[in-house]
Amino acid sequence: MRWVCCVLLVLLTAGAVVTFDGSRSRADITFASADVFTMDPQRMSYMQDLRVARALFEGLCARDNTLDRATPGVALNWDVSADGKKWTFHLRPEARWTNGDQVTSGDFRSAWRRLLLPDTAADYTELLFSVRGARAFFAWRVEALAQYVAGSIHDDAAAQALWTTTLETFDAMVAIHAPDDQTLVVELENPVPYWLDLCAFPTLAPIHERSLAKWTRINPATGLVQSDAGWTKPGVLVTNGPMKLVEWRYKRGMRLEPNELYVGANPPLAGSVEVVPIEDANTAVLAYESGSIDWISDLTAEFRADLAQASRQWREAHQTEFELRIAAGATVDEALAALPAPDMARGERRDVHVLSAFGTDFWSFNCRPLLSNSQPNPFADARVRRAFAQAVDKRALTSSVTRLNEPVATTLVPVGSIAGYTSPAGLSFDVARARQEMAAAGWIDRNADGIVENSAGVPFPTVDMLYMTGNPRVKNIAIALAAMWRDALGVQCELRAKDGKFAKEDLRRGNFMIARGGWYGDYADPTTFLDLSRTGNGNNDRAFSNARFDELLGEAERELDPTKRMALLTAAERLLVEEEMPILPLCQYVTLYMYDPAAVAGLTRHPRLDQQLSQLRRVRDASVSVLP
Amino acid sequence: MMHMIARRLLQLPLVLLAVVVVTFALVWLIPGNPMQHEGRQPPPEVAQAMNRQYSLDSPVTFLGGYLARVSGVGWVLGWNTAPVDFGPSMRHPDWTVNEIIRAGFPVSATIGLGAIAIALVVGTCAGLVGGLRPGSWWDASTQTVALIGISIPSFVTGSLLIVLFAGKLRIFPIGGWGSPSQAILPMVTLSLPFAAYIARLLRFGLIEQMHTDHLRTARAKGLSRRQAAWRHALKNAFLPVLSFLGPATAAAMTGSFVVEKVFAIPGLGRHFVEGVLGKDITLVMGIVLVYAALLVVFNLLVDVLYVWIDPRIELASAPSR
Repeated sequence: MRWVCCVLLVLLTAGAVVTFDGSRSRADITFASADVFTMDPQRMSYMQDLRVARALFEGLCARDNTLDRATPGVALNWDVSADGKKWTFHLRPEARWTNGDQVTSGDFRSAWRRLLLPDTAADYTELLFSVRGARAFFAWRVEALAQYVAGSIHDDAAAQALWTTTLETFDAMVAIHAPDDQTLVVELENPVPYWLDLCAFPTLAPIHERSLAKWTRINPATGLVQSDAGWTKPGVLVTNGPMKLVEWRYKRGMRLEPNELYVGANPPLAGSVEVVPIEDANTAVLAYESGSIDWISDLTAEFRADLAQASRQWREAHQTEFELRIAAGATVDEALAALPAPDMARGERRDVHVLSAFGTDFWSFNCRPLLSNSQPNPFADARVRRAFAQAVDKRALTSSVTRLNEPVATTLVPVGSIAGYTSPAGLSFDVARARQEMAAAGWIDRNADGIVENSAGVPFPTVDMLYMTGNPRVKNIAIALAAMWRDALGVQCELRAKDGKFAKEDLRRGNFMIARGGWYGDYADPTTFLDLSRTGNGNNDRAFSNARFDELLGEAERELDPTKRMALLTAAERLLVEEEMPILPLCQYVTLYMYDPAAVAGLTRHPRLDQQLSQLRRVRDASVSVLP
Repeated sequence: MMHMIARRLLQLPLVLLAVVVVTFALVWLIPGNPMQHEGRQPPPEVAQAMNRQYSLDSPVTFLGGYLARVSGVGWVLGWNTAPVDFGPSMRHPDWTVNEIIRAGFPVSATIGLGAIAIALVVGTCAGLVGGLRPGSWWDASTQTVALIGISIPSFVTGSLLIVLFAGKLRIFPIGGWGSPSQAILPMVTLSLPFAAYIARLLRFGLIEQMHTDHLRTARAKGLSRRQAAWRHALKNAFLPVLSFLGPATAAAMTGSFVVEKVFAIPGLGRHFVEGVLGKDITLVMGIVLVYAALLVVFNLLVDVLYVWIDPRIELASAPSR
């Protein structure tokens, strides 16, 4: 017994010594976020990764959330040819990497080459496919790798030779040129109106090739060029943004501090910023209330609707004063901060913010002619899809089910989110029309049993509704949808919840009739949503394919006149949300932030929610007044 | 005794090999591709390239390469820099499994050992109280508390402790990791079921021991009930607790998913469950290997302690002379 205790104590002390690191100073701003996956800019695609990358890296352009457009980043300015295809960027000569090296056009070129290599496994490879020769180069490399694997020689020399050829092919094929250290010339296949927006996207950020080279090797067995884990760690990762990475520990968080070598258009206003991954939604709220974090970047606690309501009521109680301050030129946060402090003891609060996001919550219809079990798919018929879409009372969903009053959506592109784009009307809630569509498709309740049958008397198959577990909101929506369809259309639905990976696999294999979906836009153009329904798109889980739709997108690609281009895109979306209906849009996504505007400043409410961590700061003087 | 220890240690690699093969078969059967995530999908060609890179297109190649790297053969041949290389995490491209285990294991081990220490103290006290006075009011109350301790899941006790001690009273921080004060609540939460189990084991052991002949003799010689229990009964009554402690310590040290999630602690338990859900083959296999090795070592330790406490065991198992 004594010995057991002694052994335990010794081990315990050893463990404690290794793992406790004393009390570290709290960062100026600490916020809870989903766990960061990677700091490799070319590989990232998750919002939380992109958010950190925006502070660590600076692309050719940056995005100004207030002006809602791209502004100079590393590029001081740029010229564009008359046909909109050739862009010449002039880089800031004083731009520096965190190791003191100059940021050159070659750094952009090698980063973009990296993004285009299948070896990198980048989720956003396709962003660069608008560059002349890029798509062809990607295809060439895929083919070259396949031939290498199929060949008989797999040694270092052969792999190196393939790599040398790849570099030469890139130079010859892809229209990205760096005539000198400060000039980058890019030629596009077709004019891309949102090209500057792409240049501000973190995946197109430059990389410091020399520091990465030490972590890169060529696998002789496959010919693939790979970066080993490790090059993105603090002390190794060389960045060029307004902040630098000083600490990153697996699932324990990361810490950013201002980069003193940064010279550019977006100098940091923040002090230190710490990102902590807190997975348990309730723990995050408690951590916020105890003051250990300042901002919850995605409030998912189940009682969030109640918190949001308390915040809304408090604001409504001070509506006149609030509006006065807005009229006087204050931002929403400034106006909120200047109102009398809420009495937390009475349940009043001003720290829950329901923000519209640049994304649409939808459900997908399986458009394949056959289901995965080889049975005919009733949803291959657009009339059935339209019937299901029109039978959904979306307003009831957002007011009674999600209780967050999200803006109801009848289109895929959030209405009003893109300047110059007119959204089609889409289909509204109309049960009578829905029943007509079902009848037109041959589904009528012929024996008055409450279930519709086809002309052969076969009842409508039980609708298989697939969704991912772990999100009570989705589950509640699924239950409500099933009830609406049963009551309005006379069909039986069966809910099937699966874990993320399993659900994804079912989606890929087409093993569903209706499945939960959703999409966030990446750049300010309708194609960021519409591309999803292109034939063969990697994210087209529905396997929707429509020649007319593809043609409209193709025409829009070639159209030089911006107004006509937008009209073509509107026509394409109209086809999607009024006729073909592969996707049933429910509502615009909202993101719930939790922060006290009297304590934290610098967060944007722009629907893109592209937060600039380098601009976050603590409000020192809470009594800021902007009243005239 | 030395013979037994040597034999068990020699068995260790074989046990681990079996564990690797079985775990691999199970993880491989999880549907889906570890390189594929729920978010935006890269072009399909990229997925193919990745499958080739990580040998996901051939289980035999994968397992062969893995065994070479883990066993040290790869190190001898100069394939990898670490003698035991669990490879890169498939879901977290910026981290190797070695890094993840090196960071997560001390955290889970500290909480686990702390929890076992607390459980030992609390469980022994409760077991003594109940075992010495079976049927008394004290016994009934400790047994009720123990039953509750076993029955209430840790996510409930954890959340309650957070709300009470961190939310209302503000004695401890809410969660996270880095300072001793952040370790107390998770240790207590994790210790409760163990403490309850120990209390029940010890109580039954004591009651049984108190009715044995040698105890009756000790009482007849004039020892008080308490003295007799302390000097003669406790040691024997503790044997079942000891055999429970081996696997319990190994299990506690490798982390509890629930406790780590509730308290936002970056420990192995959480990494493991997330690894399974994300089909992170290398991460899951790495953690299972660590767990298996710990289990073997702690069971060995328990057996050694057994022999030391109760010499009859070695006599029984020793080859006949």
